[in-house]
Amino acid sequence: MDVFGQLLGGIAGVLTPVNLLLLAAGVLMGMIVGVMPGLGPSAGLAILLPVTFGLDPAGAIVMLAAVYYGAMYGGTITSVLINTPGESATVATTFDGFPMAQQGRAGPALVLAAVASFVAGTVGAILISLTAPAVAAIASSFGPPELFLVVIAGLLTLVVIIGQNRLLGAVSALIGFGLATVGVDITTGNQRYTFGSPELIEGIDFIPVAIGLFGVGEILWSLYNRAHRQDLGYMAVSARARGFWPTRRDWAESRGSMGRGSLLGFFVGAIPGAGATVASLMSYSVEKAVARRPEKFGHGAVPGLVGPEAANNAASAGSMVPLLTLGVPGSGATAVLLGGFLIWGLTPGPLLMEQNPDVAWALIGSMYLGNVMLLVLNIFCVPAFASIARVPFRILGPIVVVLCVIGAYTVNGSLVEVGIMLVCGVLGFFMRRFGFSPAALVIALVLGPIAEESLRQTLLISGGSFGIFIQRGPSQALLAFVALLCVFAFVAPLVFGAVRRSVDRRTERRLAEAARRAGEGEESADDRPSDEQRQVDA
Amino acid sequence: MGTKLATVGVCFTAALALAACGGTGGSGGGAAEENYPEEPLEWTVAFGPGGGNDIMSRQIVDILEKEDLYPDDITVENVDGGSGALGWGRVFADTGNPYAISSTSGSFLTTPLQADTPWQPGDFTHIGLLATDASLFLTSKKSGLTTWEQWVDYAKNKGKVAVGGIGVVNVDLILHAELAKQAGYEMEYVPFNEEGQLITGLSSGSLDAITSNPAEVLGQIESGDMNALLFTGDEPMPGLEEVPTAKSKGYTRMVTTPRGIILAPDAPEEARQWWIDTIKEVVQSPDWQNYLDENNLTADERWGDDFTQYVEKTSSDLETRLTELGAL
Repeated sequence: MDVFGQLLGGIAGVLTPVNLLLLAAGVLMGMIVGVMPGLGPSAGLAILLPVTFGLDPAGAIVMLAAVYYGAMYGGTITSVLINTPGESATVATTFDGFPMAQQGRAGPALVLAAVASFVAGTVGAILISLTAPAVAAIASSFGPPELFLVVIAGLLTLVVIIGQNRLLGAVSALIGFGLATVGVDITTGNQRYTFGSPELIEGIDFIPVAIGLFGVGEILWSLYNRAHRQDLGYMAVSARARGFWPTRRDWAESRGSMGRGSLLGFFVGAIPGAGATVASLMSYSVEKAVARRPEKFGHGAVPGLVGPEAANNAASAGSMVPLLTLGVPGSGATAVLLGGFLIWGLTPGPLLMEQNPDVAWALIGSMYLGNVMLLVLNIFCVPAFASIARVPFRILGPIVVVLCVIGAYTVNGSLVEVGIMLVCGVLGFFMRRFGFSPAALVIALVLGPIAEESLRQTLLISGGSFGIFIQRGPSQALLAFVALLCVFAFVAPLVFGAVRRSVDRRTERRLAEAARRAGEGEESADDRPSDEQRQVDA
Repeated sequence: MGTKLATVGVCFTAALALAACGGTGGSGGGAAEENYPEEPLEWTVAFGPGGGNDIMSRQIVDILEKEDLYPDDITVENVDGGSGALGWGRVFADTGNPYAISSTSGSFLTTPLQADTPWQPGDFTHIGLLATDASLFLTSKKSGLTTWEQWVDYAKNKGKVAVGGIGVVNVDLILHAELAKQAGYEMEYVPFNEEGQLITGLSSGSLDAITSNPAEVLGQIESGDMNALLFTGDEPMPGLEEVPTAKSKGYTRMVTTPRGIILAPDAPEEARQWWIDTIKEVVQSPDWQNYLDENNLTADERWGDDFTQYVEKTSSDLETRLTELGAL
């Protein structure tokens, strides 16, 4: 097929020894940048973009794609190991990734995340080749009303993660929405709660808040729990150890999640303004809604880690679609790439794929190779990273605090943000102490401004009428989708629950019968059936 | 917020990275005025890498190095944040330092109007204006509106059109308000934070028209996905000469934003004069012409006091007009 020919051509074109070196160097540098709390892909790209000015465009693209994936995975590493997302797209990774690490399963978590990213990257590359024009047409039909509905779908995650503690969860989200109002009011140009500080006119950045709430808050919480006095439960970190690799059941549990996350991520990522954050959060909601054991979510459920990881990676492939086919940057990272295009003398726009197909396909090809390189490097690196989980808290804790301060400072070179980060650290501790939800706060902070902006733009356009949401075709489709998600989130668990209970009863009966028939003498050598039984009981 | 380019990178240009460092040793603070320049130059870009301001700065640094116009090292540093408030704030705080230099763009005038920055555009030592940025007025292909006259008819018939631009305290609001008033139609201005969403706002049919910097939409115009109806500069836009100017249609009071070079406040006169002379050489170079052509910029050169006057006049003009429109 022609499109795959172009994809393979793109991959082959970048497969030179020099480019492979750049690729490896880029992935490593990206990972190092990404492991710094607060420095995610867009910061990594922005910092390393000038380094590439001396390279030819193909080499530069290869390197940047590598940095992008490296940084993205670096963010996953910190999310899993120290509960600190590197950027908003990896917030969802902390929900189940960090509990897994706490249970001594950091190794499997990191391996599964790398594999999920790889699968999503593969799906993404194939989808770009097959569907780019169609997806671009859909993306360009999304105006403010549609963006608002997409963000609402993302905000539904709040309902999912808040779980039982509705009141405290809602208060947490409201604090987040409150913080989100700081900055210039987009429709009037007035300042809100900036107290004249130029640092606040662009609003409170997600990064210092997340580093504080998750990173520093976690440290304070561990101190409170006297973790510094305890020895950590040792985990096996050697790649040969049995506990290091995901179990067969982990793989079985993650297969469907990877597929769903990849597809969802790609399409949501293609929508300018929504991107990887919304995609990963939506994936988390979807996974919890379809899970056989939703109660495990938040306590180290593998699908809760794998789905969002696949989604945020596929979303970065998806965000290439508007960049390459429309010249529209869909995310912070692609905005930096767009700047790179201009510097290399390319004109981003609908004709880029026609006029510079080599560059476009080299980018897609190197993104794919970046994924491959990431997986290969990880086989070597995961044991090293995972061994961080073995460092005693009294040594790791201070280092993490220092890294948090450096990370918060480096992003904008602003002491105000370091202050915000530290205040949020204390806030994060008290939120944990009293059962609030830091994740709900962060999600509200990230999605609140987009929701507000797109809703107010929509109402300006419609002259104040909400009818615009049912007049436009794309909006109608999205409304239906949101309704479907609501059904999944609220109704489905009830129905599934009822069905499952009846199935369970039947299984129990059957098992009991089987056990009776088998008698006492025969004990199963394989431990998997008993696993299943435990699952049923849970 | 997701797309904020948050960065600080101490970014050496590739050439600099290769250049032998050191050599000149410390001449130890204070401007030795007769020997200017004799220390490394700190070039602050008040935005992230890859933006219009950054590209222009790096282009000039490139020319300075290529033509050996600056005898020492040049460091380019991106200090992003607060719509330029932080980057220019840093240069402002370096009062009197002849080695602290920066480049300006539209935010240089609009950010102080919006936030309580410690600095005002008039505070700096003004070297020269190199070019001005004007905007294109665009409709989508689907609208079928290909000439300005068709647009005005359409807008009058519709009653009230929805038009988009970037931000509120910005030239886009003024342009839309002036054009609507002078052509006699009513509009609702819808502000956006990001160019990408502005473009999809138009392509999705949510907006009737937008204004935009040419660089971001050239690809869309070339492919026929957008129709350029009007250019707000006084002279036709290089590369899109067929698009009529607002002036040729009889519209006045359009605004442009400055691309220029500034030093820290109260820089010594020698340094100011040295830079005026040097930048005059830079703009003679074929590389600079190339840059102007590639970015469809119109050269508009004003040096020293002329640039100061331009900055002060444009800044107060923006302030009165945004106040009239209720944006301030």
